Amino acid sequence: MPTVSVKWQKELFPAVEIDTTQPPIVFKSQLYTLTGVPPERQKIMVKGGLLKDDADWSTLGVKDGQKLMMMGTADEIVKAPEKGPVFMEDLPEEEQVVAVGHSAGLYNLGNTCYLNSTLQCLHLVPELKSALLSYTNSGRSNELDQYSHLLTVATRDLFSELDRSIRPVAPLQFLTVLRKKFPQFAQQQNGTYMQQDAEECWTQLIYALSQSLRSSESSEVPAAVKTLFGIDLVSRVHCAESGEESLETESIYALKCHISQDVNHLHEGLKHGLKSELEKVSPSLGRSAIYTKESRISELPRQDNVFDCSVCAFLLEKGVESKGKNFAGNMSKVDYPLELDVYEFCSEELRQKLQAPRQMLRDIENAKLGLKTQDKSNASKANECNMPQPEGSVGNQGEPSSNSHDKANSSDGKTQLTGIYDLVAVLTHKGRSADSGHYVAWVKQESGKWIQYDDNNPILQREEDITKLSGGEDLNCAAYFTTELISTNDASMLNVTGTWHIFACIKLASCEFGVEERVWM
Amino acid sequence: MAADKNPSGSAGPEQAPQKQPPSKEHKKKKDEKKDEDLSDEDLALKQQLELYVERVQDSDPGVQKLALESMRQEIRTATSSMTSVPKPLKFLRPHYGTLKEYFEKMPESDLKKYLADILSVLALTMSAEGERESLKYRLLGSEGDIGSWGHEYVRNLAGEIAQEFQKRQYDDMPIDALMELVQQIVAFHMKHNAEPEAVDLLMEVEDLDLLVEYVDATNYKRACLYLTSSSSYLPSPDDILALDIAYTIYIKFEDLASALRIALYLDNIQYVKQVYTSTEDLLLKKQFSYIIARHGLALELDDDIVADESDREALQDIVNNAKLSEGYLTLARDIEVMEPKSPEDIYKVHLIDGRASASSSLDSARQNLAATFVNAFVNAGFGQDKLMTVLSESSTGGSSGSWLFKNKEHGKASAAASLGMILLWDVDSGLAQIDKYLHSTDNHVVAGALLGVGIVNCGIKNDCDPALAVLIDYINKEDTIIRIGAILGLGIAYAGSHKEEVRSRLSQFLGDPKTPLELLVFSALSLGLVYVGSCSEEIAQSIIFALMDRSDTELGEPLTRLLPVALGLLYLGKQESVEATAEVSKTFNEKIKKYCDVTLMSLAYAGTGNVLKVQRLLGICSQHLDKGETHQGPAVLGIALIAMAEELGLEMAVRSLERLLQYGEQNIRRAVPLALGMLCISNPKVNVMDTLSRLSHDADADVSMAAIISLGLIGAGTNNARIAGMLRNLSSYYYKEAGHLFCVRIAQGLVHLGKGLLTLSPYHSDRFLLSPTALAGLVIILHACLDMKSVILGKYHYLLYILVLAMQPRMMLTVDEKLKPLSVPVRVGQAVDVVGQAGRPKTITGFQTHSTPVLLAAGERAELATDKYIPLTPVLEGFVILKENPDYRDDH
Repeated sequence: MPTVSVKWQKELFPAVEIDTTQPPIVFKSQLYTLTGVPPERQKIMVKGGLLKDDADWSTLGVKDGQKLMMMGTADEIVKAPEKGPVFMEDLPEEEQVVAVGHSAGLYNLGNTCYLNSTLQCLHLVPELKSALLSYTNSGRSNELDQYSHLLTVATRDLFSELDRSIRPVAPLQFLTVLRKKFPQFAQQQNGTYMQQDAEECWTQLIYALSQSLRSSESSEVPAAVKTLFGIDLVSRVHCAESGEESLETESIYALKCHISQDVNHLHEGLKHGLKSELEKVSPSLGRSAIYTKESRISELPRQDNVFDCSVCAFLLEKGVESKGKNFAGNMSKVDYPLELDVYEFCSEELRQKLQAPRQMLRDIENAKLGLKTQDKSNASKANECNMPQPEGSVGNQGEPSSNSHDKANSSDGKTQLTGIYDLVAVLTHKGRSADSGHYVAWVKQESGKWIQYDDNNPILQREEDITKLSGGEDLNCAAYFTTELISTNDASMLNVTGTWHIFACIKLASCEFGVEERVWM
Repeated sequence: MAADKNPSGSAGPEQAPQKQPPSKEHKKKKDEKKDEDLSDEDLALKQQLELYVERVQDSDPGVQKLALESMRQEIRTATSSMTSVPKPLKFLRPHYGTLKEYFEKMPESDLKKYLADILSVLALTMSAEGERESLKYRLLGSEGDIGSWGHEYVRNLAGEIAQEFQKRQYDDMPIDALMELVQQIVAFHMKHNAEPEAVDLLMEVEDLDLLVEYVDATNYKRACLYLTSSSSYLPSPDDILALDIAYTIYIKFEDLASALRIALYLDNIQYVKQVYTSTEDLLLKKQFSYIIARHGLALELDDDIVADESDREALQDIVNNAKLSEGYLTLARDIEVMEPKSPEDIYKVHLIDGRASASSSLDSARQNLAATFVNAFVNAGFGQDKLMTVLSESSTGGSSGSWLFKNKEHGKASAAASLGMILLWDVDSGLAQIDKYLHSTDNHVVAGALLGVGIVNCGIKNDCDPALAVLIDYINKEDTIIRIGAILGLGIAYAGSHKEEVRSRLSQFLGDPKTPLELLVFSALSLGLVYVGSCSEEIAQSIIFALMDRSDTELGEPLTRLLPVALGLLYLGKQESVEATAEVSKTFNEKIKKYCDVTLMSLAYAGTGNVLKVQRLLGICSQHLDKGETHQGPAVLGIALIAMAEELGLEMAVRSLERLLQYGEQNIRRAVPLALGMLCISNPKVNVMDTLSRLSHDADADVSMAAIISLGLIGAGTNNARIAGMLRNLSSYYYKEAGHLFCVRIAQGLVHLGKGLLTLSPYHSDRFLLSPTALAGLVIILHACLDMKSVILGKYHYLLYILVLAMQPRMMLTVDEKLKPLSVPVRVGQAVDVVGQAGRPKTITGFQTHSTPVLLAAGERAELATDKYIPLTPVLEGFVILKENPDYRDDH
């Protein structure tokens, strides 16, 4: 009867006797009492493998004092959980979109980056999307030409496809229709389609959509595009020589920002843009005279009940008058804020309208900052703020502010215009001229993340980087953008015509802004 | 000539008494001359020498002799700066011809020999190139003390001997006379600290054996160092010869630890055993065992080596690496890195400012798989982690394995196997923890557990052979994945052991044409690992037959590329031994023929630094191929495998690879990052890091993925902050490319391998020894990465665990005579190349003093900072046994 020592994990059981006349199962039950490992889970290493229950001790040649090793635990056997986890890879494509957190890119179909980036910016606007969705195939009214209709349909389809897919989408149909509707986009050079200007594309597209969406939705909703992007301007045309003055109103879809040497912030550019000089025949003087035209915003783009935000587009445009001669110094870097306050550009009436919501906003912000003050001090603060307003009466202003508080809380649907807009999309251009180079769209997602849509390739970006796109010599983006800046100026020199270039040659600094109103609460 | 030795020997004592009179006469004459022209000493010397020349031609032998003696005196005493020719030589220049002529006319006599001596010295500066007149006259001369004419003369003579030797060998002329001279010169060099010159001369005359006679206790170390380091530049078989001599010398001077290193390098078991039997010191034998264990040599100690059974057991335990886990954990505790790390600690998402990818609430199977690997690599060997082991400790067994089931299908196999990695080397508790997974109902989990059993036992040998006992039963199960798990587990557990049981069980798969391809490949790989470098005919045959039998389509499978690798592993580093097999491989199917040929060659010469083979592989890379040929990838890897042997070749290879990158075709470019990774494995050189960083943004997905993995390889186990930063940025750059992101994660796991305590470098012992099993593991990974998409990113990701073969702690742990850890101060610094340097230069620079255990980075060396102990090995790496210094006196 040999005695062996059994090693189990870190323990050693010396002097375990083996009854060689009994089958090994007996030995295993011996070990069971020692270790608590059930015999069927025991693995005992002997010469030539594991000890089998029906093995014959005599053939195994177990010697006295031999060391055996036992493996096995009494641990519970691992069972798979009843409900396995769901893996992202297993989901159908639509659901993966949600997981990815942003929509798909668009394939470049040969110099169509201008189109892709424009579409990505537009795609961001939920109101536009919903307006498009309600557009029906059959709803074409007579005055609308066929291509406009087709274009609208194509846009709608494309947008919904973008929403559904995680893989890049090829906007083939859309492109075909667009080229039919606007033949200038079908220009060819050496057999390939030419690069086009994104700003022109934007303008044309908005125009086409404004036409079709207005006509389709009859009287119910006046015009989706108009409410979304339209800005009403009141202009005071003043002639210095004759002292004549007249008021004009117009409706535009974009605010223009002129970039000249002394403009290095968006605000200044816009201010310049709203002021212009023009020459026209003065009835009183009987000859042409210089008129200055000063515009004020009378109506901001706003949105009706449904959504809390409205969008307006600004256009930064490079004033071509900024002569090319001096362009080295004219590497104008135009900063733009992530939040734009257009209050300054508004007409008096509009300012008053804006007054109350702005106050409320301020209050909320104060509250957020922990500066919760009592009503009294709140009111007095409001008074102070309102003092400079010429027509604002103290009493009147104080009340609405508290009223609007309630209003905002109760009627969540009601929008209040504050004139403050958040930056949600930037469209940039890099390269030598408008006919070449590359357009890229930078779009803020609902989650607050910025995505750079480089054709079919969406890239996550940081918010800080967005402001750096301004084109200055910032360290991070400098290498990328400075070269462009110089070339941009080259291009503008070539295009000097003395007038404003509508489709800016300039794309570096020409950024299109979708500005979103701050969402309440 | 041998007969001349006697007169020359007697000439020495004769000279001494004769010296006095000539010098007197000489003085008198000099005085006369000075009378004529006192102002110009040089002129006097010149006239003096002219006079001697005249007198040498005198008919009177006495006058001749006097003149010769004086001339000899002048030359010998001439001291001059190193840069100019000594004056007497200069003045004698015009008379060289005259003397030569006269010499021809002289009858045989002692005087003629004297003149020959002088002519020999004059020839030092006068002899035309290639004439070797110095040697000629030396041989005709009196053969006096060779050193008396100065170092420069000896050196010149040595050069001429080398030339003459070659000529005589070519013409088949006797060389005895030359060898006489060689002996004199070697003796002179060895006496004057010029061991490299002596070794060089002996190599030239192909008689290194002579060296053994001339080395003594003071210079044997330098001589051997020179021998061993020059051996890597010698053509075969000279290199083996040089190392043999070095081994003999070490044995002669009882520097046994050094002798063992050579024996291991030569892979000569006889030598290894001889080292053991050369000493009775048990402690020393323990040190040997530690070195062998690190090398991964499966050595069975027998009665001849150690007579006493309990001693033998103790030694065998060390050879079996049984205490590796313990030592590693000691190190970890000392450095305070026991705390387990989660993959998130490695990703450090918070440092990627604002670009954190959308952390979706859903689990991504691929991301979880990556996290599994990262977790396994980072916590390798620590026995605890935050995903796999943490729950098993809690009593509620139901929830354990929750991470396991966050993986999909074959991902579960990798997850279960990761447990093996976490419990690496700790056989006892490792097997216990894996055991419960073996009883799972999920085949993938069982397969992973089997692989895990193999991983735990990697490099550890145990008398009970638990891995074999457990795994062998599973290799014939129904399910393919279970069989693969068991087969791969066997391969990893018994790599390099030449285990007969494994061969007999696995060979059946190779022979059976019905074996599924993947099973065939894994069986072949496992056999390649177990019999690495064995040149086993039998296994080679069966792999060859398997390769011949398979159909075209099967040969086109991505996994098939590992079959030639398995074949090559059998000949890893065995150079010419591969030729017969390589010849057979030429008859293979067109599809795999060239691939096989290149792979075999590159593996057979891996780690040899053979320049000719590197050139051949470069030649292969320069061809422009027809579509579909893929053998250039292995060729590029081959360049790295061969050239990594020594530092110079490595640098050259890095530059050549840069060329390939610029001019090579796409399939070459894809292999270049991997080759760079191999060259600098666990050694993050900045230039290579930059290249790889550049390539990691390459437009070609294969190139960039390979570059990312390689970033992990070069940084493996270093915690290198720069690479970690690069990888973090890459993780945000590639956040939506699942394949790339997976590679980035793996690389991140590698960089933090074992929390920075491990290395993947197959080289150890001062970068002298190459562990074949470690190299084998790396080779498989590299070849698998050549087709990243279908292998690593496909369902064979568990191949990554083969890296475990190359994992070793990069530690220096000092133990006392009872093998208990002992903390002593050591200096750790950059290693300095001291080969062939004069004096006793410092071996490390820029050092810092730590107390052991310490970590050693690539290119670092440690030395004891105290005299209190004596290390039993000259190379302080791994486990080092310290003996108390009997001569030590405490000053304080």
